[in-house]
Amino acid sequence: MPPDLAQARPTVAGVVADPTLRAQRLERLRALDRRLTVAADLAAPPSPAPRPDPARRAADLARALDGTVIDGRGGPLVVVRERLVLPLDMPALVALPLDLDPSQPLVLLDTETTGLGTAAGTLAFLVGVGWWDGASLEVRQLWLPDHAAEPALLDALEALLPPVACLVTYNGRTFDWPLLVARYRLHRRAPPALGGHLDLLPLARQLWRHRLADARLVSVEAGVAGLQRHEDLPGALVPERYFAYLRGGTMRPLRAIGHHNREDVVTMGRLLQVLARELAASEARRRAHPGDVAALARLLRRRGRRDEAASCFEDALAACERPDAPRAVDAGAMALEHARLLARLGRRAEARGIWQALAHRGGEVALHAWLALAKDREHHLRDPAGALAAACEAERLLARRRAMGFFMRDLELDLPRRLRRLRRRGAERQARAMPSMASSVRSTSSVVL
Amino acid sequence: MRLYAPATVDQVVDGLLTAPDIADAVVADVRRPARPAEMVPLPAWLDARLRDGLARRGLGGLYSHQAAALEALHEGHDVMVVTPTASGKSLCYHLPVLQAMAQDPAARALYLFPTKALSQDQLVALEQLASAAELDLAAAVYDGDTPAPIRSTIRTAGQVVLTNPDMLHAAILPHHTKWFQLFEQLRYVVVDEAHLYRGVFGSHVANVLRRLFRLCAHYGSHPQLILCSATIGRPGALGETLIGRPVTVIDRSGAPTGPRRVILLNPPVVDARLGIRASTYGLVERIALAFMRAERQTIVFARSRTGVEILLTHLREALREGRGPRERLRGYRGGYLPSERRAIEAGLRDASVLGVISTNALELGLDIGRLDAAVLAGYPGSVAATWQQMGRAGRRQEPSVAVMVASSSPVDQYIASHPAYLLAGSPEEARLDPDNLHILLAHVRAAAFELPFEPGERFGEAPADDLLAFLAEEGHVRRADDGRWYWASENFPASEIPLRTAAADNVVIIDTGGPRPRVIGEVDLFGAPTVVHEGAIYLHESRQYHVDRLDWDERKAYVRPVDVDHFTQAESAVTLKILETFASEEADGATRSHGEVMVSRLATIYKKLRFATLENLGWGRIHLPEMEMHTTAYWLALDPAAVAGWRRDEVDVALVGAGRALQTVGSVLLMSDPHDLGLVTQVRSPHLQRPVIYLYDGVPGGVGLAARLHERHDELLAGARDLVLGCPCEAGCPACTGPRLETGDDGKLLAGRLLTILAPVVRRRAA
Repeated sequence: MPPDLAQARPTVAGVVADPTLRAQRLERLRALDRRLTVAADLAAPPSPAPRPDPARRAADLARALDGTVIDGRGGPLVVVRERLVLPLDMPALVALPLDLDPSQPLVLLDTETTGLGTAAGTLAFLVGVGWWDGASLEVRQLWLPDHAAEPALLDALEALLPPVACLVTYNGRTFDWPLLVARYRLHRRAPPALGGHLDLLPLARQLWRHRLADARLVSVEAGVAGLQRHEDLPGALVPERYFAYLRGGTMRPLRAIGHHNREDVVTMGRLLQVLARELAASEARRRAHPGDVAALARLLRRRGRRDEAASCFEDALAACERPDAPRAVDAGAMALEHARLLARLGRRAEARGIWQALAHRGGEVALHAWLALAKDREHHLRDPAGALAAACEAERLLARRRAMGFFMRDLELDLPRRLRRLRRRGAERQARAMPSMASSVRSTSSVVL
Repeated sequence: MRLYAPATVDQVVDGLLTAPDIADAVVADVRRPARPAEMVPLPAWLDARLRDGLARRGLGGLYSHQAAALEALHEGHDVMVVTPTASGKSLCYHLPVLQAMAQDPAARALYLFPTKALSQDQLVALEQLASAAELDLAAAVYDGDTPAPIRSTIRTAGQVVLTNPDMLHAAILPHHTKWFQLFEQLRYVVVDEAHLYRGVFGSHVANVLRRLFRLCAHYGSHPQLILCSATIGRPGALGETLIGRPVTVIDRSGAPTGPRRVILLNPPVVDARLGIRASTYGLVERIALAFMRAERQTIVFARSRTGVEILLTHLREALREGRGPRERLRGYRGGYLPSERRAIEAGLRDASVLGVISTNALELGLDIGRLDAAVLAGYPGSVAATWQQMGRAGRRQEPSVAVMVASSSPVDQYIASHPAYLLAGSPEEARLDPDNLHILLAHVRAAAFELPFEPGERFGEAPADDLLAFLAEEGHVRRADDGRWYWASENFPASEIPLRTAAADNVVIIDTGGPRPRVIGEVDLFGAPTVVHEGAIYLHESRQYHVDRLDWDERKAYVRPVDVDHFTQAESAVTLKILETFASEEADGATRSHGEVMVSRLATIYKKLRFATLENLGWGRIHLPEMEMHTTAYWLALDPAAVAGWRRDEVDVALVGAGRALQTVGSVLLMSDPHDLGLVTQVRSPHLQRPVIYLYDGVPGGVGLAARLHERHDELLAGARDLVLGCPCEAGCPACTGPRLETGDDGKLLAGRLLTILAPVVRRRAA
């Protein structure tokens, strides 16, 4: 290298300005890398693979996936179409507390990506979309045969999303949709407008998590829709397989990804079907899992739909009475919840009836029921003596539990305070009525204990 | 005379100089005259609200450098403002940014500061200015401490985002799609404390900026750059290398300064044979105490956190005497709580704090007002940093004093024997090499992750295709049907690239002595075998740690604190092979060259040496792999005639001794840490068949140190000769030719003789 080149740049050795020198440096770096690698791990020397013809490759990919090629901006896209019968009772679904608008068509969406984050270097190479056409579910899978075709994929996706569409995803609020938004932004386009977005993951956690090991879509599908996937591809293998394809590997392994994605889309449809079929109508709920129904009641209560929540609790309790009801469900606790809600709705008499029934059943539920009765008698029935009696019942049950070694921290603190107050009030009232008897009242109440 | 009596700084200094030992220690005592302010009216185009806002704060005009910066920006140039501490640099960026926001509320600006504290400080300043001008401004700090809920608000609505290069690199650029409003409307990028972006860190930051500009171009914005820097050599070159385009340098300060006295002290020699000098801290304490007793606000700069605590303890003890104002003396260093630090800064501004002992943390642009006296315990490592620290003393009207007390380190002794270098010479340049192949490759990966590369697209000066092809072989990047290069990996490259070290592959040092293991530091992989081998005594913040176990595969060294009377010194067989000569020229008695080399180092044994006597207490073997590094080097191949008639062992020690001195002077000239320059000597180079001294860049791939040494050969050789000949030691000391152990009794003599032959006859940089 001529010495003047080294001084050509004002600050450092003129290395970059000379392409041959940088090439030599890169070559030395390659050599160093190879020496640092154990001989056995050495990959075959890089041979510039012949660049495949984009149209040919797309056609091959379409053949491998049973899809068709469509041309688009940037390059050809592979689309896999499917139609399957999956009737959905839309009016029933809309009645559920899911914030659905009957005028907005539902669009199921699931992506397969090259990584887990939503940063700019993660690509959605497969977008599965599903929508209802009558009693059938239409599924489209948009496959990216090459990075270059991403504009075509984004176009095609936008065309499949009507501006009023309500998206239905599984964890799509934090992952799939932000990732797609990032892709549109990267191409300096506005992302498609949405009418709404129903993410089934938080819903599944609320409704079904109580009886499942986890809230993964496959677990929910197995536990709720009763389906078992065979040979499902672990999600962690997805990026690896797609990269292998991009580097000129075979296309067959992508079929498993396509299958996995299709199953995810269809499963979301099935879950909506289950929701509409099992949880929307009262008679259906009485046949459903009482735990699911109670979870729905809580959801209604949180959304402020308290009357519906109360009747939903009734359905859940009715479901508990079924001979085939799961044993793990705590009907007593559910009834307490129901009574508390009724009381808040002003239906005190009904609530009182439930508490009284529960109070005589024994166990922890009875303890809470006596406590509820004590509060009710003190504050609503203005019956301090009855309140004291109920509180004493609660204390008796609490003492029994304590004796068995169960400590209920909150109650251990709260109940004695309540008892003291009720006794003091009672004593004051007695004293006001007949002052000379005050001391004897105190001793009488201790006898009651 | 009363112990605590107000006096002027000059009276204090004169009093101190009556002590004979202090008077003898003075190597320089210069006075700088006062300079009045150069004021310029506010530019006519400035928004009326800003004019009113400035007027409300009593500013009817600007200092000339502020006005010059505003004009240059108004004309569309990128600027680099290089003026001393507390000269009002931040107004040079706050004003144009607010002007832009006043005209177009959609406009955005990005501020980069090297530390979090500076971001917070400048956010307050910016908000005060905006509220004085009655401008609605959404400005926020975006860093690791920003709570998650407000992050998305900052992303979409933050007009001014204050952050640091690390955050920009790892959190903002890779997620640019979430910041599209910022990138589409980015009008200004502010890079403050630009002189800190040198070496490896600077080379990384230059590449982070390349990535930023690339994304701006993608989103259609073309921000102007405002760089601010402490006084350094060739600021324009630094600015251009950092941002990759020309900058308008504004380096004439219009801010007023009072008269200032600058004094350099070198503690007297107490052991001439070993070259040992009296304690630096002892002298620093006496001086700082005298200023504080005279009710003069004083800042003391120590070289380490431990130094801060030692000085603080001693000075508080001294101030107890006669019930002095010991409560008004504070420490300031990393590790103090932010609220504590803010309180000290405010205390300095309102003078309730009389004295502060600080690390270089207060060297940066935090607003602490102006003080009466600055005392520097040791040379801060560069002329630029010295002036930054000394600049903390300097009132607008009244006189101020800055005192530097040299330590016994080689670099300090060089400065003490060449006061003109500091006082008259220009400050060093900040060196960086954004095209260091390792760093460049790392950022090309990150850039490909962020946005595909067009074929032939430049990254820096040259098209990146060859680099991308290289990355494609590793499988991280792929060329698609459209010819573009796309990221094709699950990895998140930015998280694998730490900006403040050369290689991600560092050995982490873990202290197991405490209640729970704690990371206390890192060493680069290449240096690890000689520093943290099992049995080594590792020094960290002047504490000793024993290396119990080195887990080479996990890159972890487990240490525990000890208190022993010895240290360890590893020996290694270093071989250096020249791969490529970039340039070669004849010089006095030698040929000077620079180029690319491969350094291999095999650590062999270590010795245990007693501190004071250097007595050998034993040794052990080191069993670690040989390390290899490609880097750049500068080398001197001696003419055989220059050492004709010398014995082989004489040449050997002369090369080592001269090499040590060259290493010291080289690190001074290039503003680098002495460890950043490696030394290898060969009595007979297998390649060149001559005696050779090599100085190599300690970072894989180099950051441009070798090329600059080559250019500054004459200064380097003359400096080394003067260092050796001027050193008062008898036969070599750590301050000149290195420990006597390395060179023996004749080392200094022979090295001096060799350097006299090699150094140019006429000194180019006369004092």
